[in-house]
Amino acid sequence: MRNMAAPIDRMGLLLLTLLPVLFSISDAVDRSNFKTCEQSAFCKRQRDVKPGQSPYRALLETLELSDTRLTLQLINDNNKVRLLLELYRLQGNMTRVKINELKPLKPRYEVPDVLVKDPPTEPLSVLNRDENGVVLSLGADSQRLIISARPFRLDIVDGPNVLLSINSRGLLVFEHLRLRKDTKSETDTEQDVEQNVAEKGEGEEEVKEEEDQPGMWEETFKSHSDSKPNGPTSISLDFSFPGVEHVYGIPEHADTLKLKSTEGGDPYRLYNLDVFQYELHNPMALYGAVPVLLSHTTDRTMGVFWLNAAETWVDISSSASVQGGSEKSQTDVRWISESGIIDVFVMLGPRPTDVFSQYASLTGTQSFPPLAALAYHQCRWNYNDQEDVKAVDDGFDEHDIPYDFIWLDIEHTDGKRYFTWDPLKFSQPREMLQNLKDKKRKMVTIVDPHIKVDSGYKIHKEISSKGFYIKNKDGGDYEGWCWPGNAGYPDFTKPEMRAWWASMFAYDQYEGSMENLYTWNDMNEPSVFNGPEVTMHKDALHGVWEHRDVHNLYGFYVQMATAQGLIQRSGGVERPFVLTRAFFAGSQRYGAVWTGDNAAEWGHLKMSIPMCLSLGLVGISFCGADVGGFFKSPNPELLVRWYQAGAYQPFFRAHAHLDTPRREPWLFGPENTALIREAVRQRYTLLPYWYQLFYHAHRTGQPVMRPLWVEYPENAATFAIEDEFLLGKDLLVHPVTDEGSRGVTAHLPGEGEVWYDVHTYKKHQGNQNLYIPVTMNSIPVFQRGGSIISRKERVRRSSLCMQDDPYTLYVAVNAQGTAEGELYIDDGHTFNYEKQQFIHRRLTFAEGELSSSNLSPDSQFSTASWIEKVVFMGVTKPNAATLRTAGGLESALEFEFEPATELLSLRKPGVNAGADWTIQLR
Amino acid sequence: MHYHIAVAVIWAAVFVESRKIRGISLSYKRFYKERKSFLCIDGSKLIPFEQVNDDYCDCADGSDEPGTAACPNGHFYCTNLGFRPHYIQSSRVNDGICDCCDGSDEYNSSAHCQNTCRNLGQRERAELEKRMRRLNEGLLMKRQLVEEGADVWREKQAELSDLQKVAEDLQIRLEYLRKRKTEAEALKEEALAAAHPPPPPGQGPRSPIRAEISLEGHEQPMQDTDILIDTDTRLQQWMDSAEQREESPKEPEVKDAGTEDDPDVKAAVEAAKSAVADLKKSEEAYQRLQMEIRELEDRLAIDYGPEREFLFLLGRCFQITAYEYAYTICPFNQVTQKSQAGTEVLLGKWDAWGGPPENPYGMMKYDRGEPCWQGPTRSTHASSLSCEVQKRVQSSARACASLENLVAAFWSGTSDLWCGLGRALGEGAQ
Repeated sequence: MRNMAAPIDRMGLLLLTLLPVLFSISDAVDRSNFKTCEQSAFCKRQRDVKPGQSPYRALLETLELSDTRLTLQLINDNNKVRLLLELYRLQGNMTRVKINELKPLKPRYEVPDVLVKDPPTEPLSVLNRDENGVVLSLGADSQRLIISARPFRLDIVDGPNVLLSINSRGLLVFEHLRLRKDTKSETDTEQDVEQNVAEKGEGEEEVKEEEDQPGMWEETFKSHSDSKPNGPTSISLDFSFPGVEHVYGIPEHADTLKLKSTEGGDPYRLYNLDVFQYELHNPMALYGAVPVLLSHTTDRTMGVFWLNAAETWVDISSSASVQGGSEKSQTDVRWISESGIIDVFVMLGPRPTDVFSQYASLTGTQSFPPLAALAYHQCRWNYNDQEDVKAVDDGFDEHDIPYDFIWLDIEHTDGKRYFTWDPLKFSQPREMLQNLKDKKRKMVTIVDPHIKVDSGYKIHKEISSKGFYIKNKDGGDYEGWCWPGNAGYPDFTKPEMRAWWASMFAYDQYEGSMENLYTWNDMNEPSVFNGPEVTMHKDALHGVWEHRDVHNLYGFYVQMATAQGLIQRSGGVERPFVLTRAFFAGSQRYGAVWTGDNAAEWGHLKMSIPMCLSLGLVGISFCGADVGGFFKSPNPELLVRWYQAGAYQPFFRAHAHLDTPRREPWLFGPENTALIREAVRQRYTLLPYWYQLFYHAHRTGQPVMRPLWVEYPENAATFAIEDEFLLGKDLLVHPVTDEGSRGVTAHLPGEGEVWYDVHTYKKHQGNQNLYIPVTMNSIPVFQRGGSIISRKERVRRSSLCMQDDPYTLYVAVNAQGTAEGELYIDDGHTFNYEKQQFIHRRLTFAEGELSSSNLSPDSQFSTASWIEKVVFMGVTKPNAATLRTAGGLESALEFEFEPATELLSLRKPGVNAGADWTIQLR
Repeated sequence: MHYHIAVAVIWAAVFVESRKIRGISLSYKRFYKERKSFLCIDGSKLIPFEQVNDDYCDCADGSDEPGTAACPNGHFYCTNLGFRPHYIQSSRVNDGICDCCDGSDEYNSSAHCQNTCRNLGQRERAELEKRMRRLNEGLLMKRQLVEEGADVWREKQAELSDLQKVAEDLQIRLEYLRKRKTEAEALKEEALAAAHPPPPPGQGPRSPIRAEISLEGHEQPMQDTDILIDTDTRLQQWMDSAEQREESPKEPEVKDAGTEDDPDVKAAVEAAKSAVADLKKSEEAYQRLQMEIRELEDRLAIDYGPEREFLFLLGRCFQITAYEYAYTICPFNQVTQKSQAGTEVLLGKWDAWGGPPENPYGMMKYDRGEPCWQGPTRSTHASSLSCEVQKRVQSSARACASLENLVAAFWSGTSDLWCGLGRALGEGAQ
C-alpha cells in the first residue's frame, strides 16, 4: 500500500523520530536504510569463505539406511563439530537433503507449517559403496545420488550427466551453536558442553580453536543494535548446475526474469522488508521471499527449494564445466541464511510442469479465489467516506465501466485501529456494504498486523491480556512505531494467536462487516517504522524462537490466520479473499499478493511482468501490480497502458498514494475513459478463461501467468523473454509498455504452430518475431491455434451480474485442423466444488466436429448459462452446420463466414453449457 | 373456468406483443412493425422478425435486441409510467438489479423489483414545486443582490476615483517634499561645513548665514501644510487614516555630539531631518495608496457575474467543517484548510470561474495553493451555487490532490431561500 512517507500532518508523534528520514527521501529508495551483504555480519563472514577448501568429510561408517531415509554424519575437520546429514527420496522425483548439528547446544529452528504434509518418501537403495563414497539409486530411472566422502559432496546424476552437485565448491558452512568465550566459565551448562566437545573430539587429534569475528555476538546497524545471545548460527551451501545458463525464481526482487550473476555485486537478498520507493534492476530484498530457484535448459528443468525463514542471501555465478568431453557453461548458486538448519528439496523435473507439480506437492497450490476476485478492483489511499464510496460506485455505472471490489485503506479506521470504522466518515458501514451488495459488488478493508497500544481498544486489550504479543529481548511486549503510533505486533507464529485472530472476523466481532467484505493484509513484513531496516529487531522473541529465525514467515502467518477467519465466519462455506504484501513459500494457499509500492513510471509498468512471472514460477499465481503506479501521478498514456497490461495480469487492481491526484478511470477525458473501459471489458469477457486457469492452478500447481519457456522449453529464444507472457498455454500477451510506442515485436513461439490475433482474427505463423503496429487502443493478444477459449461477451456491472450469461466459444484451429479446450463452471464463491459441485467440460474440435464432453462425470452442478455463439478461426466455409444434442435431436445452425479472415460464426446453438452436444461442419 | 382461459389468452397475447416490442419507446415502434423480416435500424442487415428480441445479437447497432441483454451496445427503454421514461444500457437488463422504476428491466431475473414510479413521480413533482417556490424567492433575492451589487459597485468605483485623486495630490506633494528635502540637506551640509571647517585651512566660518537660511527653511512646511489642508482635505484625511492604520516606527534620535551646542547647526540638522522624515512618510503613504489602488482595481476587474450579482460575496468568508478539517472559503480571495492540530494549509487562491459552459458561474476555481508532497500544488473547486449537498467535501484536500468539490461552503445556512437564490443566480447566469 504505502510506506512511511505519509503526509506530515498525519504522522503525529512519529514525526519527531522520523523527521530526518523523511527529509532525506528524494525520488528513489534510500539505500542506506538497508543492509548490503558487507553490512550484514553473517553474509560478510560467509562470503569471505572461498571455494575449494571444504573441511567437511562424510563419516561413511555412520551411514544408516531405513525405509524412509538415509542418515550419515559429517565432520568438520577444523573444529571437529559433527553434523547429521539426512537424505530422503521423495515421491514425485524429488530429493530432500537435510543437515543439522548432530548435537546442537539447543534446538535449531526448523520451519513449520510451510510444507502441506510430511512429504511421502520412497525407499533409497545402495547400489555401490566403498571408502570413497556411496552410490544410491533414485528409483527406476538412470538417476543416481552419489555421496563422496572427502571432501563431502553430493552429486545427482542421470546416466552420464551430472544434473546437480552439492558442496562441489566446498562452501558448506555450518556455524555451530557455541558459548560465548568470555561467559563460558560462568555458564551452568559448562559440563554438558565439555562432554559434548569431548564426545565430538573422541578419536580425533586436535581441535582448532575458532577465533571470534566481529558481528558474531552483536551487531549494530545505523542506530540499531542486535544482541545475539546465540552467537553465530549461519549456514551456507553451494549448488552447481552443469550445462545450465538460465536460472529463475527467488522472488521478490524488482529485477529481470532470468536471474543475473551476482559476482562483483550484492547477492540477491531474501528478507521481507518495507522498502520505500524501491528501485528497479536491483537484488535488494523486497516485501516477500520465496526461497525457490529454478534451473532450465532445453533438456531439463529443475528446482531447489531452500526451506529457511531467516534472512537469506543467494549468490549466483557462472563458470565452465566439462561434461561428456566438451566444455559447457555451468551455473553456481550459493545460499546463505542467518540461522536455522539446511533443509533443501531438489526437484528433478524434468519438464517445467513436473517441477511445478513437485513444488506444489510440497507447499500446496494456489488457493481457488472467488470468481469476483479475478475481476477488476478499484482502490486508492483513501476513499474518504461513505459518500465518496457511493460517488465512485456511481461513477463506474455512469461511465459504464464494470468493477467488482472497492477498497478502503487505513483511513477508514478509527485512528488506525483495525477492525473498527471511523465514526464520522464510515458511521454506517453495513448500509454502505448493503448498497454495494445491491449492485452485486464487494468491498475490501485493510487489516494490518500492527495493533495500536491503547487500553481502550478491544483488540489490543485481548492480545495483551492473552500474552499474544511478540516479546522484546527483555521479555516485555515488543513495541514499535507504525501507522497508529505506538503499536504491538501479535505473535502469529502461535497457533492459539492465529485461532483468536481468525475469530475476530466473525460478523459479530468485526462490527459493521458483512459477507461481501474481504480483507487486505499490508505492512506484514512486518513494517516497524523505527526498527532496523524498517522492520522488527531480530532479537525480539516468538516464544523460544528469535524473530531472526522466523522473520520471513511472519507475513505468511498473518495471511493464513486472516484467510482462516474469512472461512470460519461463513461456517466454512465461502472461499476467502485476502491480499498480502509480505509472503513466503506456501503463501499461495491463502490468497493474492501484489508487488507493493511501485511508482507511476514506465519502468515499473514493464517490471510488473517479470515480477509476477517470477512469482508464478514459485507457486504464487495470484499476482498483480498497482495499476497506474502507487507513487507519483501517471500521465493518461501511462495509465491507459497500465490498465491494458493489468487487464491481462492475474490480480487487477488500480491503486494510488494519498498525495496523488484522483485518477478514477473517467477523469482523463472521454477518449481515455473509452480506452480504459475497453481494457476492463476485455478482462470481463475473459473471466471464464481466468477462472478455469485458476481452477487448474489450484488443482495442479501450474502457474496461470507463464513465461514462454514454460510452454516452449526447447526453444532457447524464449528463455529470457520478459516483455510478453502466456496465460495458461493458449493466450499470448504482449502489452505495450513504452511511451509513445508505435509498434511492438512479439515472439510467436512454436514451429508449425499458428497464432490468431484475438482482435482482428488474423492468422500468424509460429516461431517468428512479429512486428505489430499499435495505436492507443491496441493490446496485442494472440490465441494459440489448437485451442478453444470460452468467453462471456455480455459485460455487465460486475462479474456476479454475468453469472447466468451465455458463453461464446472461440475455436482457433491449428495446422492439423483441430482444437481443444475446457470449460469450468461452479457457483463462483463456495467450497462446494470440493464436493463435486461443478461442471467441467472438454471441448474438442476434429474432423469438422466440435463436441462438448464431460471431464468429470461424478460431479453435479447445473447452470443457467448456455452456448450463445461459436466462432471458428482458420476454417473453410462449410455447407452446413448441424447441432446434435444429447437426446439425438438435430437442428441446422445458421452461420456467417468471412473468407478474408477464415472466420466462421455459428448462430445461437442455444444448448446448456453443462450439456453434451456436438456440432458438425460439413 | 372460462374466465381463467380468457385471462390466459389475454396474457399470452400481451406476452407475445410485449416480447416483440419490449424495450422500445413509442417513437421507435414504427421500426418494429410485425412483418416477415426486420431491417436493422442502421440498415446493415435483414433478419427474420422472430429474431427480434430472441436473446441473440444480429444487428451491429443492437437494434434487434431492444428488450434483452444480448447486444453490447443496445439500449432498453424503461416506460416508467408515472415517472420519467428513460433508456438504460442493455447490459442492465435481467442482471438482478432493478434499474427501471417500473421494474420492467428485470422481467426474467431473481430480482423482485417494486414499481416505485408513482412514488418517484410524486416526490419529483413535490420537489419541482418546491424548487419553483425557491426559485421565485431566489429571484426576488437576486434582484436585491443585483441592486445591492450595483450600489457596492458604485461605492467601490467612487472609492477608486477618490483614491486616484488622492494619489495625484500626493504625487504633487511628493515632488514638493523631494525638492524641500534636497534644499534642507544642502543647507545642513553648509551649516555643518561652517561649524566644522574642513581640514584645508583658509576657509572662514560661515555659520550665521547658514543658520538664517536654515531657519527660513524650517518655517516653510507649516505654511505648506496649511495650504494643503485648505486645498484638499481628502489627502489629509487619507493620510490620517493611514497613520492610524499603521504607526510608523519612530526613528531613533541620533545625536551629533559635536554640533549639539551650535544652535544654527542644530536647527539646520533638525530641518533636514524633518524634511527627510516628511518625505519618507509621504513616500510610504504613496506606496500604500498605490497598493490599495491596485488591489481595488484587481477586485473591480473580477467577473462578478453579468449583473454583478456575486459582488455581495466580496470580503466575506464562510466556514465549513468536514470531519477533522475546517475549511474557510473567502470568495474571490482564497480557500484554506485547518486541521484539528491547528496547521493551516492554503488550498488555493482565487483563479476564475470554472463552471461548465452552460453554467459558467456554477463553480469557483482556486489554484496556486501550497504544493503537495511529490505532487502538484493544491487547488480547489468550489460549487458556488449548489444547495443539495452540505458536507460534500469530496476528494482529498489533505490527500493533497485537488479539492474537487468544496460544495456549498458559503451556503451553510441552506435555507430554502439560499437554495432558491443559488438556482436563481445559476439560471440567471445562463
